[in-house]
Amino acid sequence: MRILIFLGTGGVGKTSIAAATAMQAALKGGKCLVLAIDPALRLRTALRLDSGSTQQKVALDSLPAKGELWAALLDVGATLNRAVQLYSKPQQAETILKHPIYRLLVASLAGMQELIAIERLDQAITDGFDTIVIDTAPSRHALEFLDKPEFFVQLVSFPMVQLVARAYKLWERSPMAVLGRKSLELYSRVEALLGATLVRQILDFYSVFFGIAEGYADRAKRTTSLLRDPAVSAFCIVTTPSKAIRDANFFWEELNRRKFPVRGLMVNRVWPTVQAQLPSDSPALAHDLVGWYRDVSGAHHSVWNDVSSQFAGLIPRLLKIPELPRDVDGLSALHQIAQYLNDLMDR
Amino acid sequence: MKRPIVIFCGKGGVGKTTLSLASGLFCAHKGKRVVVVTSHPLAELAVSVSLEGLQETDPTAAANLFVVHIDPRQILAKMFQEQIPSKLLARAVLSSRIYKSLIEVAPGLKEIAFLARLRELAEGRFGDDKMSFEMLIWDAPATGHFLETLRVSKKFDTYLSGPFALAGRDLTHFFSQSANLILFPVTILEEMAVEETIELCDKLSRELGIRPAGLLCNLVSPMLSAPEDAFRELQQRLSLEGKCTPDVEFVIDRHRIEREQFLRLRSSLQTTFHMVQRLPRWKSDLELLSALSSRMGEVPLGIT
Repeated sequence: MRILIFLGTGGVGKTSIAAATAMQAALKGGKCLVLAIDPALRLRTALRLDSGSTQQKVALDSLPAKGELWAALLDVGATLNRAVQLYSKPQQAETILKHPIYRLLVASLAGMQELIAIERLDQAITDGFDTIVIDTAPSRHALEFLDKPEFFVQLVSFPMVQLVARAYKLWERSPMAVLGRKSLELYSRVEALLGATLVRQILDFYSVFFGIAEGYADRAKRTTSLLRDPAVSAFCIVTTPSKAIRDANFFWEELNRRKFPVRGLMVNRVWPTVQAQLPSDSPALAHDLVGWYRDVSGAHHSVWNDVSSQFAGLIPRLLKIPELPRDVDGLSALHQIAQYLNDLMDR
Repeated sequence: MKRPIVIFCGKGGVGKTTLSLASGLFCAHKGKRVVVVTSHPLAELAVSVSLEGLQETDPTAAANLFVVHIDPRQILAKMFQEQIPSKLLARAVLSSRIYKSLIEVAPGLKEIAFLARLRELAEGRFGDDKMSFEMLIWDAPATGHFLETLRVSKKFDTYLSGPFALAGRDLTHFFSQSANLILFPVTILEEMAVEETIELCDKLSRELGIRPAGLLCNLVSPMLSAPEDAFRELQQRLSLEGKCTPDVEFVIDRHRIEREQFLRLRSSLQTTFHMVQRLPRWKSDLELLSALSSRMGEVPLGIT
């Protein structure tokens, strides 16, 4: 099994490249899954995916595929529901799924996506995929999807959630005895500020949800260590010419610091070199148009030269992916990109 | 003094941060004191690199331009301190494990805190800082997260009692008053970005009652303003005479899409369009920002 993770800021084409990578893998053989985490759900357009569905096989009729291509959107609600059903007793599951805080938690995408990505990856591993390609969300902190689960693991294993979860039932019976006067005063202050109903509901919810949270922490620990194993996982940085130098440096440093293996750097959407000489009798507009494109593409190529020489020897695969005239809107466009990714798949 | 919030929103990668900073620079250069609140995923990096050297090239702008990153945890702590009269007690509450765990697990609370701070800034309340600002720009997160953040105050409303419930209701009210917001969706003229922009404007007006003050088309080619006839003639001529090598075809094709998408936007959205041309090359981020800022004059940013 191998896992490829694509990182980059918004709008650089991560989703398309992730999908094309999975397609390239599927052409060579094995069961391949691309998991899109982007809230803009752009992969949907290319792979005709519906939100709400779990994962579905993409028909590759016209292409000579030895393997299978599957695609899925990271659906926070669906992934969490599945975790609740898998890891809690039936009656407990029902309590959790109906709980107002649970619904609020699922509805509030903010912050949940990064936690859930790791859980979803674990589910994909369980489902027996040979290649799993993950497209990450450009979150407020670019590497939150790696950091948050680790933070959560600490949270569950040590003080806070355990405290809240265990204390709740006892509070209900005899608050004074357990908490002591000082803690109780603090608690009632917090309750007054946040609102008693909310605090009650949160405590109530986490006391039921605790078992699942603990299980999540175990799985997240396991999955994160897989992501650090270079025999299994590879991280790829995707960027575009205008931000290539800044993005490449940032992600490379951050991944290194966290000891995640960096396999590839892709400069996407590089405009092709315009070499054609227009006949001299062409209209002025034609000369302007071609001249301007030549300027832009010239700038793109000089950025590519800088970046590729800076990272030569540091990142094993440096790839330049040309701009396509159209947006990536179908399998043939993905196939076109896939041809540039051949190098990436070879170990 | 109350100022509307100028918001740049839109799909990832369309240039929200760049245009926010360029607008800030434009107004700061004219002597207005400007605060830019950025939600860029790599905020510190993007901003410090971009504005490097401003002090030397434009001291007036450098003295008037402030870039702020809002940390919701700090804001929450401040809100709590205001509610608790005794400093000692406030410190005890804030350092307690009960507080810390509840803050982390209460969904949406951090978004409320963010919006509350944004509103404070808009109303000219800067905490300990006595400086006054004449303009507030929010470089919003990408579409999905932006809508989530605006919706959060509504959602929270149903679950809360106490000061935060009040804050939630207040914020819902504040962010639905069109006088408080000057909203500029930013887009590029490509199919998916245009689709997302139309959808965003639709959701903003249907769910939140917010209408854009204008639309910024970023990274357009200078040829977009050429008459349609001239372009069509050129296209025909090149393809008929068999002069279309693949690279010229690429140029013509992209330009045709740019025109198509522009027409599609204009027929779907009733608002003012502002074109921001793509610069072919620039030496530093600051050079790019300065060049763009000189073009922000036509955009109604709400300053006099």
